[in-house]
Amino acid sequence: MAKGLIRLCYSKVIDASASGVWEKYVLDDTYREFFMQAQYYNQQQKFTTFREILEHDPKADRLHALVSTAAIGYLRQLNERIPDITNVSGKVFIPFRNFKFEILHSHVKDKYQHKIAIHFYSEVLTWIDTVQNMFLLAVGDKREALRNGQMIDTEMVAWRPNLSISSFQPATDVQAIEAQVQEGSDLKL
Amino acid sequence: MERKQFLKRLGMGSLILPLLQACSSDDDDVTSGACSTTPTETAGPFPTKDPDSLEMVDIRSERTGLPLTVKITIQNKNNSCAVLADAIVDIWHCDKDGYYSEYGGTSMQTVNYTSVHFLRGRQVTDSNGLAGFTSIFPGWYASRAPHIHVHVYNASGVSLLVTQIAFPSEITDAVYTTATQYYTKGKQDTYNSSDNIFADSVDSELATLTGNTTDGYVLTHTIVVNA
Repeated sequence: MAKGLIRLCYSKVIDASASGVWEKYVLDDTYREFFMQAQYYNQQQKFTTFREILEHDPKADRLHALVSTAAIGYLRQLNERIPDITNVSGKVFIPFRNFKFEILHSHVKDKYQHKIAIHFYSEVLTWIDTVQNMFLLAVGDKREALRNGQMIDTEMVAWRPNLSISSFQPATDVQAIEAQVQEGSDLKL
Repeated sequence: MERKQFLKRLGMGSLILPLLQACSSDDDDVTSGACSTTPTETAGPFPTKDPDSLEMVDIRSERTGLPLTVKITIQNKNNSCAVLADAIVDIWHCDKDGYYSEYGGTSMQTVNYTSVHFLRGRQVTDSNGLAGFTSIFPGWYASRAPHIHVHVYNASGVSLLVTQIAFPSEITDAVYTTATQYYTKGKQDTYNSSDNIFADSVDSELATLTGNTTDGYVLTHTIVVNA
């Protein structure tokens, strides 16, 4: 039986070393937006890095959200599938709607220092088991179907850096919990 | 062994890889004769340039309020006050209750829901130096006269001017006491003459408004920059 319901979080970091077209578009356009919007918080042009601007004016924390406006069109191009995290067939399948956008570092005179993170939060997934370093998952809440002994579609995803379980709801099925206790299975990966 | 490594060892990776990829990646393509139907993909393998989501005329999102059309003309003092085309104009203002968008820092956003980006937009001035927006009449918040923020940039995104637009008090009074289906706080607590920002400069920052409290207003204003 399932270990429980989870949401995965994938943190995608993009900087000047990015080679993908999508990543380059996101980096270029968010840098331009940063360059433009940062001027509001740096009207005397005293500071050059995001960190300096933020230290001088804590309201510059709004730049994360302001600059995200340049990324939203590209996020929509993903069609609500978390990028990079593929099943064993190489297809992206993990649904997401929520994200956080973060400026990790930037410099008003050097676009090559621009570095951002997009944290993708998946929709609910049923975590059935872990096989070596692979999650055995089903999209959505499939606990009922599993309890009823139904065959369900599953996916396997390898754990990788920047991928984490951001929330977890244990299986409430008593038999499942007892079975896990008997097997001594570990809820951690 | 990774397929790529395997092919590299065969010494034919670059030649054969595209062929293999074309055959192996999808099972939903239909082949007939010499050509194949392009497969459907859920992810965007071929991303396209996408304009900033701020670039819109209608900046209301789902915010309600009395309709307000904003028409801002940009002039260039360095060119005998001629109109300035291709200037980038950002505006933002609070909603009917006095709240702004974008104040969430790195808070969670939803990809298909624009509510975090309400009442904020960007337009490029046309050949008449005009940038237009469809919005709502802003509300007010404590210690500030009603206003619209404006940031004007040149076509390269270099800041030319950060300023604010003030509203005639007789009109804000009328809106806040008449259009009460939207505005529930009554009259503003700060007027232009006692506002920290406008007190010494309202003459050049006061907009012209035409309209009424039923159909809404049209705001026109000219901003002069040194471009």
